Amino acid sequence: MKRSFLELLQSMGAVHRLCTIPILALALMAAIGAASAAKADETCMSPYMAKITGQEDFVYVWTLGVEGLGDASDKLVTVDVRPGSSTYGQVIDSVSVGGRHEAHHAGFTDDRRYLWATGLDTSKIFIFDVHSDPARPRLVMEIDDFVSKSGGVVGPHTSYAMPGRMIITGLSNDRDHSGRTALVEYSNSGTYIATHWMPTADQTRGTKIEGVADGYGYDLRVLPRKNVMLTSSFTGWSNYMMDFGQMLGDGEAMKRFGQTVTVWDMHARTPKKVLHVPGAPLELRFALGPNHNYAFTTTALTSKIWLIYEDDAGEWQAQAVADIGDASKVPLPVDISLSSDDKLLWVDTFMDGKARLFDVSDPFHPKQIYEKVISTQVNMVSQSWDGKRLYFTSSLLANWDKKGDDNNQYIKAYNWDGKELKEQFAIDFTKEKLGRPHIMRFGAYALYAAITTDTSTAMTE
Amino acid sequence: MIAGMNRYRICWLVALISLLSANLSPGQAAESPRSRDRAAMARIANPPLGLPAVPTPADNPPTAEKIRLGRKLFLDRRLSHNGTLSCAMCHVPEQGFAVNEMATAVGKEGKSLRRNSPTLLNVAYMRSIFHDGRETSIENQAIAPLIAADEMANPSIGYLVQKIKALRDYDGLFEQGFGRGPTMETVGMAIASYERTLLSANSAFDRWYFGKEPAALGADAIRGFELFTGKAGCAACHTIEGRFALFMDHQFHDTSVGWYRAMVRDDSEQSVRVRLAPGVFVDLDAAAVRSVGKPLPADLGRYEVTLDPADYWRYKTPSLRNVALTAPYMHDGSLRTLPEVVAFYDRGGHPHPGIDPRIRALHLSQIERDSLVAFLNSLTGDNAEELVRDARSEKIGNPQ
Ligand code: HEC
Ligand code: HEC
Repeated sequence: MKRSFLELLQSMGAVHRLCTIPILALALMAAIGAASAAKADETCMSPYMAKITGQEDFVYVWTLGVEGLGDASDKLVTVDVRPGSSTYGQVIDSVSVGGRHEAHHAGFTDDRRYLWATGLDTSKIFIFDVHSDPARPRLVMEIDDFVSKSGGVVGPHTSYAMPGRMIITGLSNDRDHSGRTALVEYSNSGTYIATHWMPTADQTRGTKIEGVADGYGYDLRVLPRKNVMLTSSFTGWSNYMMDFGQMLGDGEAMKRFGQTVTVWDMHARTPKKVLHVPGAPLELRFALGPNHNYAFTTTALTSKIWLIYEDDAGEWQAQAVADIGDASKVPLPVDISLSSDDKLLWVDTFMDGKARLFDVSDPFHPKQIYEKVISTQVNMVSQSWDGKRLYFTSSLLANWDKKGDDNNQYIKAYNWDGKELKEQFAIDFTKEKLGRPHIMRFGAYALYAAITTDTSTAMTE
Repeated sequence: MIAGMNRYRICWLVALISLLSANLSPGQAAESPRSRDRAAMARIANPPLGLPAVPTPADNPPTAEKIRLGRKLFLDRRLSHNGTLSCAMCHVPEQGFAVNEMATAVGKEGKSLRRNSPTLLNVAYMRSIFHDGRETSIENQAIAPLIAADEMANPSIGYLVQKIKALRDYDGLFEQGFGRGPTMETVGMAIASYERTLLSANSAFDRWYFGKEPAALGADAIRGFELFTGKAGCAACHTIEGRFALFMDHQFHDTSVGWYRAMVRDDSEQSVRVRLAPGVFVDLDAAAVRSVGKPLPADLGRYEVTLDPADYWRYKTPSLRNVALTAPYMHDGSLRTLPEVVAFYDRGGHPHPGIDPRIRALHLSQIERDSLVAFLNSLTGDNAEELVRDARSEKIGNPQ
């Protein structure tokens, strides 16, 4: 049975708004400081990117290979999440890249046609075509010379879409594998453009420094209408590759965690201010509301929600606004996801395997309103634009995951009805001989609608 | 205008030429590759004050070409199977050619090694290599990490040699140094030639003791020296000779560090003190730490080499030169600072039947402990920065 693609979408109550605004217009709006209606994702994508505001069709899972399991290689795994599909909740595709690279994060280019997936260990970048056939991503390019091109940056982490470009945050460097690192810019076609080193005490580059300037990196997000870019700070290769238990007991290693969020001039790519945020601030999420000039981050080690906000004087500040669980037990908040109305913040705590929901409608006073144990360990969380569907994966880092029986490796899908998380499906990544699932990114035919009418018929089954 | 510019250029040229032709003493900055290699050769020929003559193997005499090649290999991350680890990532020039940032080393894909990365400063004088002394020359040693599955992890020696042959930036370099191409032997010889140049002494202590400069050493360090060679008994193992001092006896001893780790420490801990941020600590339940950690493999020390029960938990006496630069300490990095090391000896270590009888409670006063620390801090060579600059004059090899 064939139906028109639009009919199909309507029948699924799916796409409210296909983001067709040309990138240039968006960039222009940002540049002139207009109150842009740019939407972050499902809900954390670059504002320069088309969003899936309806039903996602696929979840791409960047997965770490495990020695002795299946082909032992890192791979991009595609999970079918189309309601009613005969393969709903199943792995429908898997592309191995050969070797283990400490697969971690991945991000789309601004046109959402390519997914850049990086390896924190070998510093390789794997670029997948996700638009030709969203059900079957293809590896089309591999960047092997990231370290030499960038002038010594190791551990590419966040791949963040800017107009026509990708900014990649590093975590380390090739001199000592410490956390001193930089941002690296590439063109969408994979050509190296520039390296911007994080400011440090001896190389402040004119930056205002609130406490320390460790020079560390991790995540990156932008707020174009304020010309602001934020970066957070984790730790270097030595620590993120180290056995987690060894590290916790190693007083020297534990000294080397990020304590900073850096505020940048987004267009000039110059650092303006280094905020003091001790305890390893990881994921950054800007609020989406047109007048919400703030972002959230959580500190992994000290278990706090931090608000990064613009004060009345127009100055960016950092403030710890809530505790996450019992900090003395080191619950380890790892990933966060902000609802598209800026009211709810999901926080995953790795050690106790919990998803916790905070009411952040007053961003200065978040309150935990719900929690659920997802498994023995939990790492990433991604939600749909409407907040009704949430996906969780298990793996933090190859050598930080739980050992023995607690090492459950999965993706789990839930529905959120405003009161409770209800499990929809779960895939055991060990049983499937895939590996350790890490970041999730959504795919949808709707993004490339005009050319995919045929393939979309599969969705009705 | 133009004439003025020319005059400037000539001035620069003259300055440059005079700089290059100046007779660089080993202590001076050696910025150009030629003068850098000459300074390295000069260090071997004339070691800094306080060091004996450098033993060099008859079949591998040092040359500038070998040293240059060895330095390049030492810094080349492509020499590991997945392009992430060079020798210098675990023997970091800025960190005393050791690693200050962790207790035990981290290898391929984050594999936990059970021992601390030792400094390579003055490694030229080591008669036995590694904490357990299992290797006999630094030429042989260099091959071990290259093919160890948990370190640089090359599948085989032949594979690595082929890989180096295929790297165009090595074209001709082995031939210049050895008259033949890369082989297991020439790779080891080149790296060892570079390591032999990592000589560091002429410390405050050396200038005072061997150089007879009374003002070179402070009163507290002098008191520390007297304890070190007297009441505290340190020099029994960390020896000082008449004309030089290596602060090691080339022997293996049970100081109780290894015994304690194996027989007591790991099961007795209820909680682990974890630093979350500057000034923020928690005592985390040991079970929580174990849930995310694998214990280090057992370590029996010298016994693993000799299989003689008398050698259980004996480790090589390290040199104490440059010890201020090479924290953390002991074969497992379990002592983080020099005051902690001195407190350990003062307590008499962890008494048990096999402990060396010279490790015994010393009953030192706080002032005496501080003096010993001051003495240990006076053993830092005066050219540590020059050796860093020398290392960093070479480009780090990365996958292209
Ligand atoms: C993954 C980290 C790592 C890498 C890479 C590494 N080392 Fe080491 N190195 C160590 C550790 C740990 C030890 C102590 C091992 C032991 O005693 O069993 C050591 C010991 C040594 C020693 C013995 C020093 C002494 O005092 O006995 C030498 C020499 C040495 N390494 C040189 C090298 C060279 C040359 C390379 C490169 C070819 C290299 N290392 C690569 C970690 C590393
Ligand atoms: C019985 C011989 C012996 C005596 C006496 C002795 N040491 Fe040691 N020392 C050793 C050995 C062996 C090690 C290495 C232990 C290990 O690796 O676990 C060592 C290690 C050290 C280290 C750490 C060096 C490093 O790079 O890790 C310091 C510092 C040190 N000793 C200082 C002293 C001082 C100060 C005294 C006197 C209070 C002293 N030692 C007495 C044998 C001795």
